[in-house]
Formats: sequence, C-alpha cells, structure tokens
Amino acid sequence: MLIRLTIGLTTALVLVAVALAAQVEGRSVDPMAALGTPAGPPIEGDDLTEQTLSLGSKMRCPVCQGASIADSPSQQAVSMLGQVRDLFAAGYSETQILEYFERSYGEFIRLQPRARGFNLIVWLAPLAAVLGGGALVAARARSRAAAGTGSSAEDLDAYLEQVRSEVRE
Amino acid sequence: MNRLPLIIGAVIAVPMIVFLALALDINHDVIESPLIGKPAPGFVLDSFEGDSIELGELEGTPLVVNFWASYCQPCVYEHPLLTAAARDLTGSVNFVGVVPPEDTAEAVDRFTSRLGAWGPTYYDSDGRVSIAYGVGKLPETYFVDAAGTIQHKHAGPLDPQTLATALEKIL
Repeated sequence: MLIRLTIGLTTALVLVAVALAAQVEGRSVDPMAALGTPAGPPIEGDDLTEQTLSLGSKMRCPVCQGASIADSPSQQAVSMLGQVRDLFAAGYSETQILEYFERSYGEFIRLQPRARGFNLIVWLAPLAAVLGGGALVAARARSRAAAGTGSSAEDLDAYLEQVRSEVRE
Repeated sequence: MNRLPLIIGAVIAVPMIVFLALALDINHDVIESPLIGKPAPGFVLDSFEGDSIELGELEGTPLVVNFWASYCQPCVYEHPLLTAAARDLTGSVNFVGVVPPEDTAEAVDRFTSRLGAWGPTYYDSDGRVSIAYGVGKLPETYFVDAAGTIQHKHAGPLDPQTLATALEKIL
C-alpha cells in the first residue's frame, strides 16, 4: 500500500514538474527552448551563411521601409539576423525559424505574404488582370471582325469610286 | 452595346481599388502584436549597474515594459508622462525600461541625469528580448497584467489618454 502511494505521489510530482517546466519553456525568450527539437542536424560554414542570408532576405526589417533584415544595417536587423544564424546553426529549419519570429511579429515579418486568405488577392490579381485583358482584346477583335466583314469592302468601294470621279473631273 | 469590356474592366479594377484602399488604411509603422492576450515572453536582463531582473519576479503585480533608447526623441516626449504615472502608481504597477544593444551606459546615464528616471532600466545586450516582444520602432510599451498576460501594446510615444486607457486594462 505504502509503495503504491509512494509511486503514485512520485509520478504526480514528476508530471507537475514536467508541466511547470513546459510552461516556463513556452514563455522563455530563448527561442530554442520555445521551439523544441530542431528539425535537422546542426549546420556551419558556407551552408550556414547561405541559408541565413537566404532566409534573412525574406524577412522584413521592423525598423526600415520595406527592406529585409539581410539588407538593413540597423542594429535591430543585425540582432535578428544573428538569431536566425544561431537557429540555423542549431539545426532548426526555415519553417521553424519563421514560426518563432511570427510569434512576436506576426505575418508582418514575411516580406512575401503567404498565398492564403485575403493575401490571395496579391497573387491572383495580376493573373486576373492578364486573363481579363486577354479576354477583352479577344472580344474586341471578334466584334470588329464580325461587324467589319463586307461593310468595310463596301466602304472602300464607295471611297474608290469617289476618288476616281474626282480624278476624272 | 457590348457590356463585356465593362464587366471585365470592373472585375479587374474593383478588387484592385478595394485592395489599395485597405492597404492605404494600414499604418505600416505599427506592427499588430500577436502577443496580445498571451503570456509575456520571459526574460532575464541586467542593468548597466549590474542589477539583474527576471520577469517571474514581477508577477503578481501589473507591469509596464517600456522599450526606449537614449537617442530616441519620441522617448523624450513621453518621459514626463511615464515619470508621473510611475510615481502615482508606486506599489500597484511596476515600470521597467529596456534599452537596445546599441545604447550605452554613459548615454543612458546622461538621459536620466537630465530628465530623471521613472524606473529601473535594463540592457537588452543582444536584442533578443526586443525580438521576443516583436518590437519595431522605439518607443514601444507593453502592458502586462498581474497574471503575466500582455493586455496591450502601444507603438510610438504615449499620450495621457492612451496611457490611462492602457493602464485600466491591467489594473
């Protein structure tokens, strides 16, 4: 009986400790604690630099006008790029890193918004404009062709007759 | 009359006009915070004097976290307001300042010597606390209730009405 009680209490204490630790981790400013296990192996060298700059060029600098954190010399951008580099070095994926920054900056951090919801307008409007423009041109050409057959030849004949008569005079 | 061109033109133009109108309505200097209603990101920060603070120590009392810098002119504008609020709410609200990596002990000291200090200021040496809070242009102020939940964020210098309204949310 005593053994069961001890095991039960110990299990409960462990579960409470794990829950508290998870809560602290979730609130930590440390992104690695907040993100959990990296998706891949640690990287370094040229790969690390290349991936850092590649992702940095897709992330909006919050203190600039439309510049990425890879292009901005501001201290805030430098700090953010440093954090991106540290996370890549630890093995976190681009998706995980963006997810961390989106927790505090939201979709604002993405220079290229996701193609979903209201953002779809950005992606679909140019396509709609091209298709609509093409349809407009085709419709106009068709209506001209339909209206123009025969009548333009008659107009031309009348015009030629007028020119000939003027020349004769 | 052939209405097709008109319809096609409207289909193209109307969404574009709506989109542009909505885009013009957005203030790009203010980043909407996804942290509102969520737990304030934890931090451990040191002051230039060597004191240390941990967010957990401040729980149980409403908290105002002001991100500012000694070189920031709008921070000068809101400084008297924060000074008065911190004085009036001593004991019921904690006021904490956080300065960015590029600031220096000398510059912060000159600022507070000239204008006074409304609360302790801590040094975000690697900028990671600012990132965790989603800070953009300074100053930015976060209002955290006694349970540790962010209730409001204000970007830019505070004015009396905004400060009063934000404090109401955490008191």
